[in-house]
Amino acid sequence: MSAPEPVHPLAAVARGRHGAAGAAPLRVALPAREIVQVMLRRGQDAAFAAAMRAALGMDPPGPGQAVSGSAVTAIWTQPGHWLLTAARRNEGALAARAAEAFAGMAAVADQSHGRTTIVLSGSAAREALSRGCRLDLHPRAFGQGRAAHTPIAQIGCLVHQTDDAPTFELTVFSTLAEPFLHWLLEAGAAYGVEIA
Amino acid sequence: MLRITCPHCGARDELEFSYRGDATVTRPGPDADAGAFHDYLYLRRNPRGWQVEWWQHNGGCRAFLKVLRHTVTHEVRAVAAATETLEVPGA
Repeated sequence: MSAPEPVHPLAAVARGRHGAAGAAPLRVALPAREIVQVMLRRGQDAAFAAAMRAALGMDPPGPGQAVSGSAVTAIWTQPGHWLLTAARRNEGALAARAAEAFAGMAAVADQSHGRTTIVLSGSAAREALSRGCRLDLHPRAFGQGRAAHTPIAQIGCLVHQTDDAPTFELTVFSTLAEPFLHWLLEAGAAYGVEIA
Repeated sequence: MLRITCPHCGARDELEFSYRGDATVTRPGPDADAGAFHDYLYLRRNPRGWQVEWWQHNGGCRAFLKVLRHTVTHEVRAVAAATETLEVPGA
């Protein structure tokens, strides 16, 4: 595609250590992602599931779930809606691929510029997130492969736990990524936050 | 703070939801007179007891839900999808 390489919404954020100088800081990464919203058309559930198996080798995840294939992760966001995410390579490639695979079954909208993912990991990640997140993040209630949309610091955030380190992928609207990260740095200041 | 068990997302805080009023109000037919539309638009029962209400889970799955809530104790007894019917218990 010919579109210019976009600037990451958090490109101006200072890298390095923020907050306390503890031995086990929280780690924040700011990956460039392709994010595509898929909205199911009425009555197309079975056809859509078959198309997703054929195109991505996975079933659409159920409520509160996310599944990762070799390159693409699918996250349930609301009834009949999923987000597909992948590392950003060619601008719009994932959206084009999804639009072709799901033609007639689902509406596809490229959200790569509209949403930004912040990856938070570290042993204190649950405690830091819990300062603003009302979800029960205890391993009994949440865990790897779980995803939920909830307001954090009054900003709508998709929380997706990808491993038991724990690592959380926090996806917010790009225009709110900077205030959200600012909140995260405040919430994690007692542990220290290392931005890669 | 109410805890509302969304059929899609599980138990969440009231803060994630917005209240959208009485869910038992039905729109009159197109031939109804102005009085019927006046009542539909402005008159609410305001019961002391159980009420079926619309709540939208706009901080989560964005679905409209029917919630059976007691207006005095705030007990939430049932939550259902918008297309389902909730019965109001007697007394």
